[in-house]
Amino acid sequence: MEATIEVTGLRKRFGSKLALDGMTFIVQPGQVTGFVGPNGAGKSTTMRVILGLDAPDQGSALISGQPYPRLRRPLSHIGAMLDAAALQPGRTARNHLLWLAHSQGLSGRRVDEVIELAGLTSAARRKAGGFSLGMRQRLGIAAAMLGDPPVLMFDEPFNGMDPEGIIWMRGYLRSLAAEGRAVLVSSHLMSELQDCADHVIVAGRGKVIADTSVAEVIAAVSGDRVMLRTGSPSAAMTVLTRAGATVAPAGRDTLAVTGLASEQVVARLSESGVGFSEISVHRATLEEAYLELTRDAVEFRAQPSRPVQPAKEAVR
Amino acid sequence: MWTIGRNQLRAEWTKLTTEPGTAWILAFLCLLTVAVGAATAAVTRCGAGTGSAVDPTRVSLTGIEVGQAVVAVLAVLVISGEYSTGMIRTTFAAMPRRWTVLAAKAAVLTAVVLAVAVVTVAASLLAGRLLLTGNGITAAHGFAVVSLAHGPTVRAAVGSVLYLALVGLLTLGIATIVRDSAAATGAVLGVLYVPPVVALFLGSDPAWQRWVERYTPTNAGLTILNTTGLHGEVISPWAGLGVLAAWAAAALLAAGVLLRLRDA
Amino acid sequence: MTATMTPYRPPQQAGRDGFAQLVHAEWTKFRSLRGWVIAMVIGAVLIAVVGVLLPRGDSQCGTASGAACLAQVPTGPGGEAVNDSYYLAAQPLADDGSITVQVTSLTGMISAGNGGFVTPNSPPPGTLTPGLVPWAKAGIIITAGIRPGSAYAAMMVTGSHGVRMQYDYTGDVAGLPEAASPRWLRLTRSGDVITGYDSADGKGWTEVGSVRLAGLTGTVQAGMFAASPLDFTPNFPTYSESGGSTSASVATGTFNDVDLRGGAAGGRWAGQAVGATGANYAGPRIGLRQAGRRFTVTGSGDIGPVVAGMVNSSYDTGTLADHLFGVFIGLLIMIVIAAMFMTVEYRRGLIRITLAASPRRGRLLAAKAVVIGLATFVLGSAAVAVAVIAGSRIAHNGGIYVLATGWPVQARVILGTGAMLAVASVLALSIGTMLRRSVVAVAAVVVAIVLPYILGVSGVLPASAAEWVLRVTPAAGFAIEQSVPQYLQVIGHYGPPDYYPLTPWAGLAVLCAYAAAALGLAAWLLRRRDA
Repeated sequence: MEATIEVTGLRKRFGSKLALDGMTFIVQPGQVTGFVGPNGAGKSTTMRVILGLDAPDQGSALISGQPYPRLRRPLSHIGAMLDAAALQPGRTARNHLLWLAHSQGLSGRRVDEVIELAGLTSAARRKAGGFSLGMRQRLGIAAAMLGDPPVLMFDEPFNGMDPEGIIWMRGYLRSLAAEGRAVLVSSHLMSELQDCADHVIVAGRGKVIADTSVAEVIAAVSGDRVMLRTGSPSAAMTVLTRAGATVAPAGRDTLAVTGLASEQVVARLSESGVGFSEISVHRATLEEAYLELTRDAVEFRAQPSRPVQPAKEAVR
Repeated sequence: MWTIGRNQLRAEWTKLTTEPGTAWILAFLCLLTVAVGAATAAVTRCGAGTGSAVDPTRVSLTGIEVGQAVVAVLAVLVISGEYSTGMIRTTFAAMPRRWTVLAAKAAVLTAVVLAVAVVTVAASLLAGRLLLTGNGITAAHGFAVVSLAHGPTVRAAVGSVLYLALVGLLTLGIATIVRDSAAATGAVLGVLYVPPVVALFLGSDPAWQRWVERYTPTNAGLTILNTTGLHGEVISPWAGLGVLAAWAAAALLAAGVLLRLRDA
Repeated sequence: MTATMTPYRPPQQAGRDGFAQLVHAEWTKFRSLRGWVIAMVIGAVLIAVVGVLLPRGDSQCGTASGAACLAQVPTGPGGEAVNDSYYLAAQPLADDGSITVQVTSLTGMISAGNGGFVTPNSPPPGTLTPGLVPWAKAGIIITAGIRPGSAYAAMMVTGSHGVRMQYDYTGDVAGLPEAASPRWLRLTRSGDVITGYDSADGKGWTEVGSVRLAGLTGTVQAGMFAASPLDFTPNFPTYSESGGSTSASVATGTFNDVDLRGGAAGGRWAGQAVGATGANYAGPRIGLRQAGRRFTVTGSGDIGPVVAGMVNSSYDTGTLADHLFGVFIGLLIMIVIAAMFMTVEYRRGLIRITLAASPRRGRLLAAKAVVIGLATFVLGSAAVAVAVIAGSRIAHNGGIYVLATGWPVQARVILGTGAMLAVASVLALSIGTMLRRSVVAVAAVVVAIVLPYILGVSGVLPASAAEWVLRVTPAAGFAIEQSVPQYLQVIGHYGPPDYYPLTPWAGLAVLCAYAAAALGLAAWLLRRRDA
């Protein structure tokens, strides 16, 4: 059976809150699939259901065609990192991996292999309670790779990584996918996912909002924008508006032009003799696409920051 | 099926032995039990009026009443420590058959407690014997002897070891049901220590008093420590231990069912 | 741009930063955790419910039941319940006078008890064997009347406590120590003052004591008496209520040279059993016999206060402490919560937020102690008040005579037990601060505070060990529950729950010492350690 995660019609209610409302998707092998969504969209719940930790009220989740409880040596079918801090602090990192290995019938040798793989060799015999955030993430990845599984699932793996770690993680995830594994990664850092995910599943309010390749998601939203720096903004605005573009000021001498390709902008301005000093193409990012897609699905929105008011009275 | 059980046993054994607190707790169990037994033996004198009411074996093993709290602490940590850190999810992802995980934890805990209990009981009896004979409680004065050649003493020794293991299993069941580590500790210590005192105060209600003395875990279980005065007891030693075993089995059964039903 | 930027000033006034605010913050922390509040309330409810439900009485006496059975309980001049039965051979004494007598012998019989161990060698209950119980009494008495509970003063020879002067049930003064017969005894009356003397040879008299008895006016009865109380032998020499055998007994005093001054001329000695319903032995031996100038008085019963723990044949007695059985259960719950109040801070590093908000660590610990102590005190006192007041009322309606229910005693028991709970909670909080890990802290707290009480009370330990435990460990605080005093002259089972080795306030002080030491150590550790 191919290495896949197949989630169908999951429904789960926690008390009065409906966490999952018909969540359905398939994670295919050979690519990195991003799993994104606002807080409370049901991403972590879905991952727990996939691992058989929480029971859904309806629906099913299959790993390579089988439900989780039916898997023998489950860590050799799917490796997951849900919460890197889920450790008992008194135990050393190596011993934490050791009991996990023993539970799958693996030996200490495999433990040392994954420790090296995750770059933890120097810290392996230290107590896990003293680990920094980034080291705990690496330990979680080591644990996920113990069984050398064809399916991998990571919940926010970029959290707490330093820049070097993020670059390593991106490359690592891509290499895992290139080996033919199915990789599901949930993240809030769109910029990271943009560079390593091939496919993205956008979730909101317990169901799937979008399930396409990254390129399609970005293209479906907003489109490209051209930023223009010019000495005569009003003239440029007139010319470009007549050409059918939408122009908006974006600073003292900068304009944002949408609806017209950059070559066309250059052509129109040169025709009309309007000078400009800088032109750049601003591609919509996965973050912008995501924000637009999930605008309605966001449940927890912080107050937009207000400008500072001067103190009403001097502090005595 | 057997392979799965063996893997889980090995994993739980590694878990228990790589947690540094375990060794300290076991050492403390031994020390505290022997110390309390020795202290009690040291103040038990052969005075006028004590008659044959002093049970030397029971006096030597008084520490078991305190040591059971330490066994309870260990058992709570074995399961509640995973819930408080969230590691229980990792455990159940690696070993989805939750009944067998519970069984593996029970087996590993029992093995460790039995081993330490044997040493502890032996040391308690030895210390008690030395101190009591020093205080004049010897066969020459008409007291039962603390010696492994003496049938009832052997029964008390074996029974005490089993008692500690059963307390561990009872605690494991209750802690799996309650999950929160502090609440589980409070609940278990309440179950162990409250009924004996309740029994004392039910003097006006002899039927209830008898029920509490026969069918609550510590009252019944600790009868195994007695070697004299047995016709005055409300339940026979082995039957008493059986009552404790029934409680432990019921707790583990309920724990297993809840483990299956609940989310991790 | 940075040169023109003005620094941010918060528009609101900063709040005050004092100890009261800290206590308020900790109280908010405490009451917002629903589980803790519920658990504390459950603890209080258990104290109240257990205290009200146990013990209940259901006395039957003839056609009456319940409280009606208690109508005839005799009370002494001080208001306490008393036993007042003996055999009296007396003459009226109208005014001042004296009575002098030589006691040539005191013998007795003990009836084999029931309720103890039955062994092949023990005689069947009721068999009489010669013997004197320790407080068998025979001597002379001046009493206001034969109604049980009358004021009196007596000089007597006892079974194993020598010569004693006793008066108004609770008074007891020692005279000549245990000595061979014969002994001379004298009582003189002057108005309402009675003075007792003893002598070894009939010539040199030593004053033993002098008392003024209110109510001893007019004609009084003066004469010889004999009494012998119920004896109690515990089954095990342990400290707990483990039952035992009670034996009825009877004592015979032989009197010579009886000399009554101030009585009617030509008066005859009239014998009668006083308080016959309270006697523990009735039979043909009881009575007065005269052979020339020698009188023999045989009597049974006791003249003395009723103490808790004594087997009383005609009615049940109880104390306020009987309604406090639930306290140790409530205590268990409250100290677990108190320990958790601090250990929960160490889960997931919550302590860092707390200390960032309130960096003065000693004050933080003090604020927590105030919150948990007050909460426990208020809930505990309320629960104990319900248990004691409602419980003793229900017991009384069921026919149990509740000893020592004066308001000062009740107030002390209620507030003292509340204070004991509060101090124990502060001790638990300190232990939680020292140990930090919740499982170990909870176990340590239970083992340190509740377990010694259980070991001392449940009969597991031999008596000397149990007594030591109840003096020296934090469980000494339970002594505050005592409501009735001990009396040397009454044999009874002086053990928990009615009696503890230490007096009430001494016991509470021991617990306070532990709490203070633990609090100090905890504060020191809190300051020293990294968060």
